Amino acid sequence: MTPGPSTAPAEVDEPIVDDVPDIDTPWIVLVWNDPINLMSYVTYVFQKLFGYSLEKATELMLDVHEKGRAVVSSGPQEKAEMDVARLHEHGLWATMQQD
Amino acid sequence: MAFGSRRLPLERRDDGAIVVRLSSDERELLQSLLSQLRMLVRVADVDDGVDGDSPVRRLFPTAYPQDEGRESDYQAMVHGTLVEQRLAAIDSVEQTLDSDTIDDEMAGTWMRTLNDLRLVIGTRLDVSEDVHDIDMDDPDANLYALYDYLGFLVDRLVTALAQSLPEDPPLDLT
Repeated sequence: MTPGPSTAPAEVDEPIVDDVPDIDTPWIVLVWNDPINLMSYVTYVFQKLFGYSLEKATELMLDVHEKGRAVVSSGPQEKAEMDVARLHEHGLWATMQQD
Repeated sequence: MAFGSRRLPLERRDDGAIVVRLSSDERELLQSLLSQLRMLVRVADVDDGVDGDSPVRRLFPTAYPQDEGRESDYQAMVHGTLVEQRLAAIDSVEQTLDSDTIDDEMAGTWMRTLNDLRLVIGTRLDVSEDVHDIDMDDPDANLYALYDYLGFLVDRLVTALAQSLPEDPPLDLT
């Protein structure tokens, strides 16, 4: 809980907004298209690893297939890394970057 | 390669078990492939990198394409684990190759391992996404046939396992 407004003079310090600390910027996990993995397999992996519905998983798979890549999850760095590792374990080409 | 004429090589039964119907030739073939995969995975070096020419490079992709430092940390942490997981999976599949049925967990292991084989062969063939007819004069014809066969098995396992996924919620608001 922050204190209420003070009765101090109206001068306000400008907060520094240009440097957003890394720790606040979420990481996104991307899966990239590859010519080998089956569409059915990719869809299944999305459902299994992330709990997506068949509809959502299919949509993501088609994005990967047609657009070249899709964002499949996001979060703090550690969580994103775990997602990437699990996708790698399933033979998918996943990378991560800050949003 | 002859499959049972009316029955699929991998199929979920009513009681939930996944029935394995592979001829002894098929099992021998898979055994041989698994041995080769094991050798390749064992010698996979963390420094091989995805741009190199290691036959198993597709099994160890880059996580941080934009950040060499983080990538190096990631590989240091994950590469060894991926190698171990794959070797354990290859062992498991080998040990159950002669089974009449496998459960869901083993089916998942089979699926990932057969897919790994497919990734290695596909890399070796430098496949594109285009559907191709196999040119019987192509020296790689046998490898293409094998690649397609493995794809069929992976797809059968996906179908069998998909039936175990939790039912979708009635309303998907995403």
